[in-house]
Amino acid sequence: MSPPSIGLLIEITARTLAVCLPALAISLAVGLPIGIAIGRRRFAGRVPLVSLINTGMGAPPVVVGLLVYFALERNGPFGDLSWLYSPQAMILAQVVIALPLIIGITLAAVGSLDEDWDLQVRTLGVPKRWRLWLLAREIRMGLLAAVITALGGILSEVGAVMAVGGNLEGETRVLTTAILMYTQMGELEIALGLAVILVGLMLVLAGLLTAVQQSGRT
Amino acid sequence: MSEAPILSARDLRVELRSRRGSFDLVADALDLFAREALVILGPNGSGKSTLMRTLAGLERPVSGRVVSVATGPVTMVFQRPAPFAGSVAHNVRVAFLGRQRSGADLKGSVRDALERFKINHLAEHRAATLSGGEMRRLALARAFALRPAVLLLDEAFAGLDADGQAALSLDLRRAISDTGVAVAMVTHDLRRAMLLANRIAVLIDGKLAQVGLRDDVLEQPSSFEIAEVVGMTNLVQGVVASDRRGDCALVEVDAQHRIATRAECPVGSRVWIGIRPEHLKLDVGRGAVDLIGKGVVRGVVNDGVAVSLQIDWAGAELRTHLMAGRGLARGLDVGAAVSLSASPEHVHLIPVRSD
Repeated sequence: MSPPSIGLLIEITARTLAVCLPALAISLAVGLPIGIAIGRRRFAGRVPLVSLINTGMGAPPVVVGLLVYFALERNGPFGDLSWLYSPQAMILAQVVIALPLIIGITLAAVGSLDEDWDLQVRTLGVPKRWRLWLLAREIRMGLLAAVITALGGILSEVGAVMAVGGNLEGETRVLTTAILMYTQMGELEIALGLAVILVGLMLVLAGLLTAVQQSGRT
Repeated sequence: MSEAPILSARDLRVELRSRRGSFDLVADALDLFAREALVILGPNGSGKSTLMRTLAGLERPVSGRVVSVATGPVTMVFQRPAPFAGSVAHNVRVAFLGRQRSGADLKGSVRDALERFKINHLAEHRAATLSGGEMRRLALARAFALRPAVLLLDEAFAGLDADGQAALSLDLRRAISDTGVAVAMVTHDLRRAMLLANRIAVLIDGKLAQVGLRDDVLEQPSSFEIAEVVGMTNLVQGVVASDRRGDCALVEVDAQHRIATRAECPVGSRVWIGIRPEHLKLDVGRGAVDLIGKGVVRGVVNDGVAVSLQIDWAGAELRTHLMAGRGLARGLDVGAAVSLSASPEHVHLIPVRSD
């Protein structure tokens, strides 16, 4: 196998982002409201639910990949979607990995607010549409920690995307699966080059988010 | 008061949850009038905070209702003020969220609010770095920024030292009179209540037990428990005697001790005799007419401003205060015998319940 061209490197990197960023966006859109809701309310079954989420935060990605694989294979419950070995399958697997991280960190951040926080906001006559803004502002450190953790988790993850994506060239090959492949092939220089790109990507994204997180510390 | 109340609670029953279990808060009738300060006193766990939250509309009563005819906001300052993340100024701006205001207008309003409680110099500080007293001031500044018609204060002075409390209560009193806001505040600190209250309401075990003008409640508590809460700490049992002294009834504590009072209770009934510490006087031999007998000093606490005395009288422990450093207070020590007097109009009677 010939070494990958610059074009191919760019393509793999772009696909990595094309999988990870939608996965992150979906996880945030679903996870934040759930995290806030669980964090601010008391209801029966809350403790088992939170401990389930905490377990999910540490779930081995390769096991998540296996479960998503079973769900998507031809005879599985979602086999009709024909998503297996497609970017959609990878996004789904990454959402399953990222969701508990986002919910867990969000609910911890929300839970650290004063018990009377909602009541104080209400008695100050803050209109409903501003309350969520105020809440997000209150817990922005936690929220950004959630985003950074989730992004790191899915960007560096290899087991699940390998299981459900299959590392198909030009279709589901992303940085992590490519690094693994080239390492196994003994193409260590290429693997190392890809690793540098992956780490660089994480550095840039985490750096940006951290800058945002710290900027509000007045 | 002839005007209509701005906030009124009728036949209120609220389920009260506390660490000591749950019981009901019951308030038959409680009114708050414009421009008045109503102080709600009660022991810990008597339901004061729950009553506040119910008046603020934050707790839903099981039955009864709270009616507000306030034309402005009804707001509340909590026992533990939790500032929002960000600057002190941001914390005040939160009160203006969603209200149309120009930048300059908003800035001026925030400055005015902070100045009212003397924390304008902290405007750009992070709210989380404020001291306990500054945080209380911020919470009050934020609440007043709303231009509320009704302000509900839950232990607004908790956790402050005596100087901090005194300074803050003076600023609060001025803010109240400047704005004309109706204030209901909960406290277990009697001195704050004395300074700020027009009227006093007392909660005992979740029941609204007495409501009235400040001095009426302080001097004529309707039960033993209320007497303790409002600082009528000198409470001694006696029996109303059949003979009288002039137009005063006489209450007999024992064979040697009889007290004259203007209060009336049926002859022969068992009563608590209540005398506020400030109305129990030491007689310096000027031949006062209201002598109630001799006592022995059992304790002297001098804090430099006042001298608190514990005096053994007729087997009961009475308390009174003197100004420090003046006359009598200088020579008094434990074991000294003193003559006590109490004028009949300040001797209050509370029927002893048979239960």
